[in-house]
Amino acid sequence: MVWLAKLFAGHDARAVPLTSEVQERLSAWRKLPAPDLTRSHYRSRYVLIDISIAGSDWKGGPLGSIGALALVDGLIDFQDALHLAMVHPAADAGQSLAEPPPATPISGEQRRAALLSLLGFVGKAPLVAYHASFVARRIERALAEALDVELKLPWIDLAWVMAGLFGELGEKSAQMDAWLEHFGIDSVQRHNPVSDAYATAQLLQLTLARAAHKGFETPASLIEIEKARRHLYQSG
Amino acid sequence: MSNEATELLVSACIQSLQAYPPFDRMEAEALRFLALRVKLAHYPKGARILAKETGVARTLHIVQRGRVDVVRGGGERKLESSSVRLGPGQSFSIGALMAQRETVGAYVAHDDVFCYELAADDFFALTQKSTVFNLFCTQYIAGLLRQSQQQLQLQLAQRAAEQKTMNSPLSMVVVREPVAVALDTSVRRVVELMAGQHLGSMVVVDAERRPVGIFTLSDILKRIVLPGASLEQAIAAVMSPAPQTLPLAANAHDAALVMAMHRVRHVLAVDEGGRLRGVVSERDLFKLQGAGLRQIRHSIDAASSVAVLQHAREDVRQLALTMLSEGVGAQEITQFISTLNDAVTRRVIELNLDGDDFYGIDWAWLAFGSEGRDEQTFTTDQDNGIVFICTDIMDREQTQLRFLDFARAVNDDLDKCGFPLCKGNIMASNPELCLTLEEWEEKFSHWVRTPEPLALLNATIFFDFRPLYGRFNLAHRMRLSLLRMTQGNPLFLRMLAQNALEVAPPLGRIRDFVTGDDPEHPGTIDLKKYGVRLFTDAARLFALANQVEATNTVARLKRACSLMKISSDEVAAIVDGFNFIQMLRLRHQHFEQEHGRSGDNLIRPDELNEIERHILKESFRQARRLQSRLKLDYQM
Repeated sequence: MVWLAKLFAGHDARAVPLTSEVQERLSAWRKLPAPDLTRSHYRSRYVLIDISIAGSDWKGGPLGSIGALALVDGLIDFQDALHLAMVHPAADAGQSLAEPPPATPISGEQRRAALLSLLGFVGKAPLVAYHASFVARRIERALAEALDVELKLPWIDLAWVMAGLFGELGEKSAQMDAWLEHFGIDSVQRHNPVSDAYATAQLLQLTLARAAHKGFETPASLIEIEKARRHLYQSG
Repeated sequence: MSNEATELLVSACIQSLQAYPPFDRMEAEALRFLALRVKLAHYPKGARILAKETGVARTLHIVQRGRVDVVRGGGERKLESSSVRLGPGQSFSIGALMAQRETVGAYVAHDDVFCYELAADDFFALTQKSTVFNLFCTQYIAGLLRQSQQQLQLQLAQRAAEQKTMNSPLSMVVVREPVAVALDTSVRRVVELMAGQHLGSMVVVDAERRPVGIFTLSDILKRIVLPGASLEQAIAAVMSPAPQTLPLAANAHDAALVMAMHRVRHVLAVDEGGRLRGVVSERDLFKLQGAGLRQIRHSIDAASSVAVLQHAREDVRQLALTMLSEGVGAQEITQFISTLNDAVTRRVIELNLDGDDFYGIDWAWLAFGSEGRDEQTFTTDQDNGIVFICTDIMDREQTQLRFLDFARAVNDDLDKCGFPLCKGNIMASNPELCLTLEEWEEKFSHWVRTPEPLALLNATIFFDFRPLYGRFNLAHRMRLSLLRMTQGNPLFLRMLAQNALEVAPPLGRIRDFVTGDDPEHPGTIDLKKYGVRLFTDAARLFALANQVEATNTVARLKRACSLMKISSDEVAAIVDGFNFIQMLRLRHQHFEQEHGRSGDNLIRPDELNEIERHILKESFRQARRLQSRLKLDYQM
């Protein structure tokens, strides 16, 4: 898949060597301590991430934008949020007309700067997304290509965790929209990654309360729930 | 870059808040300030979001989604067990946050609740930034005030309900263990017992304590003294047999009916076995009925002696209590007390005028101080004077002597009617206060021109004059010339302001209240000196500076503030504060007098409940607001 990634990331992604400043910031990020997953939810920082895909091919299209929002000590702070456009403005048309022009991804230093700021925002917090594997794949690939960095952070998939904690919507994992409707959470601007990250953050708040009530009090325990569910439904 | 994300979330937050007051009217800049600083929190069903045990409130919670149950009082007060439910757009707890104390009740998540939360510092910054929000919080406090008054009235209503009424069963009406004698007791022994225990009647019982007869005071006259009957014979011979009885469960109305039907003055209460349990007299029932406003007014106006007026004064007190418990406001009650006290004073004056004819002389009886302001409470002494016109300067001494004689008699009679003589001798019988119109004007003018401490003190008493009897136009002329003097004298007004600022509201920096340093009453606040006075002094100054003729504090504030372009909301908050303090005074005085004490103005903040303390604090803040206005106006 590397060839495909190169195609979308821009042809010269690896050609230009990283500047010393970028190197410094990368090494500073690498030196950050690994996340402590054994603290209480309400003493932890989670980062919610969502992405949009430019163009109409949601599986293969270029990464359109990234939205990130932190949940710190159980609270959502609007100032602790990030939006990164990964394609040039005119082309970012995630939810628009039938035949949008093909998107041009941002490239070179611009792309590196954007992804560096994502690293800076995330730090070493555990990451949370709904259908996390899809988001994780795109984010990790973008980081690897532009900055040659491996994220190595735990991803928590709310789709699996919620299915394990809430019996209300049946045993199988539901679509995110079903959960939002069930809990009456309004989406500000559906498919805008910041808006979706915000909606997911509220789902995470509900999830943390339910988890804590059932004795799953730490990020690590959420990962355990997810593992158990995957084991149960994917192997069987 | 992060701005773009924040912008989206903040504008979404603004939009969701704008669906609800006060955010729908809030200034755009303030609303943005709020949305930028709130954090979204989630509480699962049953979570205690804010409660007494969570300590001093540090956060404003605005419900974003879900419902919150407000549970009041935690069982301590049964009166407040009602529960309120908050929904989206509603905030809590403004009261606790503003007072920087723990909340009174508990706020519990009814279902999944999301709240926007604003830190206390940002909350206070917001009240500074947004007049809309500030007003919202002020009105919220005013709402609390009403709530507290309702609570106060509930308490009083309960107390009034405990008092006996005509619906009370006889078991409640009879209090004393009945005294009874056997059939063979001698008349002499019965009369001795009645005299010794001040009894109006004696019940005669058989061996099972069943009443078989009754013997009353009037029977002594008719059946013993006049016929010259022997004191040694048995009571059975002279008693009225077969007395009227009622079961203990019958009520006072039944007793009144029996008395009316059988033309008797006593009814005996008996238990199931017919045994004597108590005696109900006509007088007992009369006491239960109490008197209404019209009857009191009528009895005052028709009173032919000071003795009758003494009763009327007690009726006034009783009726004021009833009004207090029926939810009539402090302002109306103090005015009501003043009005009836006026009526008593007028009647005393009229009674004394019978022997003293001032025909041909224009004169008026003046009330000063709290009576002059129509703000009398249960405890009040006399503050009065006389103004008269002397057409011939040669007659002045003679006329004054006549007025002084008359005034002395009135002062003494008022004293008998429950208005104690003024310790400071501010009474019409004082030659200094029984003056001609010109002398009064000269006195006022002197105080205004040379505002030394004593003059300023006098101003706070005498400038609140009001005519009670006689030629009211004399008082009007005094008022006009006083206002002329004060208007043209900024120095006097400034000194008066300084005098008003000498006492600060007893609000503490660390503790809620600063209590008095009086060693005999530690832990108390004098609500007259450190409460009411703050408002009356400012109101007087406003009135004198703005040519307002009213003497009543609330009337002065309302009229002067509209001339001074102070908003009606602000005035309403100030008036609420003043009335609350007056209400506390009334309740306290009543309580004191019920317990046989003279009724001072010293309340203990520690003995107030949470909400009352909070509102008292807010009331003092209103006084502080008035004072800062004075400082601003007179640049002090």
